Amino acid sequence: MNETEDISKNGEDTHLVSEKSARDFNIRDYLRTSLFPHFLCPGCGHGIALRALLWAIYELDIDKNNLVIVSGIGCSGRTGAYIDANTFHTTHGRPLAFATGLALARPDLKVIVITGDGDCLAIGGNHLIHASRRNLDITCMMLNNEVYGMTGGQASPTTSETRYTTTSPSGSIEPVFDACRLAEAAGAGFVGRDVTLQMPRLKNLLRDAIQYRGFSFVEVISDCTEIFGRKNDLGESPEMILSQKSAMRPSSYGNVVDEPFRPNTLKTGILARNDRPEYGATYRAHAETIQAKGK
Amino acid sequence: MNKQEKPNSITNVLIVGVGGQGVIMVSKVLARLCQRHGFDVKQSEVHGMAKRGGVVFSHVRFGEKIWSPTVSEGNADVLLALEWAEALRWLHYLKPKTGTFIADTQHIVPPFACLKRHRGAEQRYAQETPEEIVSQVAKGYALDATGIATELGNFRVSNTVLLGTLSTALAFDEADWRDTLAELVPPKTIDTNLEAFQKGRDWVEEVKKTPKKEKNTKKPNKIAPYQQQVKIQNDIQQDLIPVITAAWCKGCDICVKMCPERCLKLNTKEVVELVEPERCTGCRICEWLCPDFAIDVVKVPTPLNEEASKSKPASLPETV
Amino acid sequence: MASKYQLVNLQGNHACALGAVAAGCRFFAGYPITPSSEIAERMALELPRIGGVFIQMEDEIASMGAVLGASMGGLKSMTATSGPGFSLKQEHLGYGAGAEIPCVIANVMRGGPSTGMPTRPSQGDIMQSRWGTHGDHATIVLAPASVKEVFDETRRAFALSEKFRVPVIVLYDEVIGHLVETIELPKPEECEQVERKWADSDKKTFKPYAETDDLVPPMARPGDGYRVHTTGLTHAEDGFPTQDPETVVRVTQRILGKLEKHADEIASYEEVDCKDADTVIVAIGISARAANQAIRQARKKGGKVGLFRPITLWPFPEKPFKQAVQKAKTVIVPEMNAGQLALEIERLCQSEQIVERLNRIDGEALEPGEILQKIGEAQ
Ligand code: SF4
Ligand code: SF4
Repeated sequence: MNETEDISKNGEDTHLVSEKSARDFNIRDYLRTSLFPHFLCPGCGHGIALRALLWAIYELDIDKNNLVIVSGIGCSGRTGAYIDANTFHTTHGRPLAFATGLALARPDLKVIVITGDGDCLAIGGNHLIHASRRNLDITCMMLNNEVYGMTGGQASPTTSETRYTTTSPSGSIEPVFDACRLAEAAGAGFVGRDVTLQMPRLKNLLRDAIQYRGFSFVEVISDCTEIFGRKNDLGESPEMILSQKSAMRPSSYGNVVDEPFRPNTLKTGILARNDRPEYGATYRAHAETIQAKGK
Repeated sequence: MNKQEKPNSITNVLIVGVGGQGVIMVSKVLARLCQRHGFDVKQSEVHGMAKRGGVVFSHVRFGEKIWSPTVSEGNADVLLALEWAEALRWLHYLKPKTGTFIADTQHIVPPFACLKRHRGAEQRYAQETPEEIVSQVAKGYALDATGIATELGNFRVSNTVLLGTLSTALAFDEADWRDTLAELVPPKTIDTNLEAFQKGRDWVEEVKKTPKKEKNTKKPNKIAPYQQQVKIQNDIQQDLIPVITAAWCKGCDICVKMCPERCLKLNTKEVVELVEPERCTGCRICEWLCPDFAIDVVKVPTPLNEEASKSKPASLPETV
Repeated sequence: MASKYQLVNLQGNHACALGAVAAGCRFFAGYPITPSSEIAERMALELPRIGGVFIQMEDEIASMGAVLGASMGGLKSMTATSGPGFSLKQEHLGYGAGAEIPCVIANVMRGGPSTGMPTRPSQGDIMQSRWGTHGDHATIVLAPASVKEVFDETRRAFALSEKFRVPVIVLYDEVIGHLVETIELPKPEECEQVERKWADSDKKTFKPYAETDDLVPPMARPGDGYRVHTTGLTHAEDGFPTQDPETVVRVTQRILGKLEKHADEIASYEEVDCKDADTVIVAIGISARAANQAIRQARKKGGKVGLFRPITLWPFPEKPFKQAVQKAKTVIVPEMNAGQLALEIERLCQSEQIVERLNRIDGEALEPGEILQKIGEAQ
């Protein structure tokens, strides 16, 4: 590894990490250490995702004072509080609504939303598709662990079929959402997905997402070990995180290894990117023309 | 005991513990048993944070006619605690003169207690010993139920051991207890549960036989401060090394299994330790995949690279 | 520009929008709903001109969320809605009350429950405006009764909201909302704008919910370097969630207490001929206007009748009300619902006065004649 390798090419998965960045990044500069250890269960993937996010923020050199983390309800929502920034822990499913108001009111701030599968796709599904449509400059990191953990393990819109949860005691029979395709279809300018196992690569993905001017949506495949893992006999934390390997299909594999050959796998990497106008800028330009006419 | 015998009396049982121990199971068995004997039973419980090791309690009240669903302070005939700190927290619910106190001496540090676990902080677990408590209450049984259950091969049946102890404090037939228990536990575990139940009863018999001052079991294991010493041998020429913030580690085992060199190990307290520092290549996988931010891979602070040791000042626990 | 604001004929809903702009509102998020849509429409026109933000959100809940988000960002923000939409806003109204985020909500009342009668007036949200969201919470409700008053009370709503860090609801019925009256509007530059207290103490030791003399803690704005945590969970002085019983009681009592402490400043009411009145009418909005005419007619016939009109509806101006009904034997409560304001009046009067209800639930406004007749019956 050398320092010049620290370039993630757009649309490509990359593990490349600069040794300098790895050495100099001190996560405690970005954490409210007095609140630690955090409240998440042993082995919960959300902590790994949080590290990836903070590392990306470090690499982009974002001033903590201008960083706003807006989170919803659930295990994912509570992780926001551990970040040493302006943190808004809002209502169930609505962090994108809060973030929309905030990003429009204060274009000078960097707004990042942390949400979960239930938060973002069930109760907050409407806000996700409209935030994608508007393409306002917000980064949305959705932690997908297939379950409502905080409330004790109920089925969510991403709970795979046949999985056991407390509200699907004989196995889930509902079809699932593909969050990335949903966001892309609704118009999100930047859509990506990765697994916590590939933390450095996830960091690179998040960095690209935060850099993107517009609505960027990143789905993080995370693990709920204590509740979902146990209920479905998916093994202990290390087994669960390792199993992510076989469940993904990195987009850098290209078309050679494609879906028919690896059924039930998730495509990872940058899944969509189009540079359409950012809504905040559009609004302000529009308002300026109106003001000019009025004079 | 049936309702003709004790027409107007009400019995209050309070069962407490932390999530996952089986508080609700115990109260279910008791409630079902009371119902069978024709009592009016009210059972009310809180198990909101049950899955995360939070507090769980269940009030069971039975008698001719029960109105209020909860037991008020100082009114519990029996306090059954599946965890030691919980036993202490609920102690004031027990009837001071006549109440029976039954508790597992097992210590469980719930995740939320972690909030007080700053680096270097003393463990704040309750210091009271079983002897002290048992001598304070009218009738007290403090036993290592988890230990007994572990001996039986399944630590999860500790609640049934305690149920056995409870059965000696209430005047229901032993056979009825056994029937009800068998009805409610998963079929595969009936035998183990019945055995555990018997152990709980036997324990009381033992205590009754032995002279009074020896009735308590041994002291609970004292838990050492969660701060762990990381020993780095300075004579080994090495660049990077993982430094563990023991107070933050939850023992998930991820770093242990993911380290390509197998340098790490969980100790008996389920906290990770660096056991093979000389094999570490400094790959950072453990740092990156620890969900609890408990590992920092940093330059070894030897005179050789003092510069580097300054680069992460805040992150280094005082132990280095 | 200034001449633009010299409008003489103005609709109630437009007056609400202009009042907001005059008060310094620079963010509006809304969702179309009859009969309040004119407020959003007017805001869509006004705000871009003055550098403010207007956004039509995907639903009522989102618009209230966006308002809170913008207010946390530092802008004076508002939304407008009616009955069914107001029900949806309750979730975030509670968040605003709990996390103490200033915001203004205009609720133009229409027939209910549910979709009810969208185009017909009603006063059915009197209780919902006070107790709509769950849990004990502080909120202020203002009830204007004329177009000019809608303008003034919307401005006052912003002032109170900013000053006490509390959601303020401007509550009026569809009749007032769509009423056009000729009024004189002050120029915007002559309107006083109240700004909330911003944190300016030491950044390291700052506690976002610390108790202050006036019980209203200063607010930290993102970007100013405070980096605080804001949550809808019950929180301690440092902003982080807590369930410690003592702390919960302490912080909740401060939030409830801040309005009690400033009750006199918040209270606003109109009193007509109550001094010698043996019959006092209590009404808000369009019902109060009908009552006003009724008491004048009754006075002509020699009846000793007065009117007490709470302009600050909640917290209800108890002291002035008790003063006003000192001599009264009967209190009549005309309202366009099955009896909501009457509940509060009955509570306040206890057995000292007879409380007579006069209700209309057919989607029509109360008429002076009906009230006059009721006065006759009562005397
Ligand atoms: S840095 Fe790499 S080799 Fe060293 S302990 Fe961590 S995972 Fe093992
Ligand atoms: S990954 Fe972290 S929390 Fe898990 S055992 Fe290792 S150090 Fe402890």
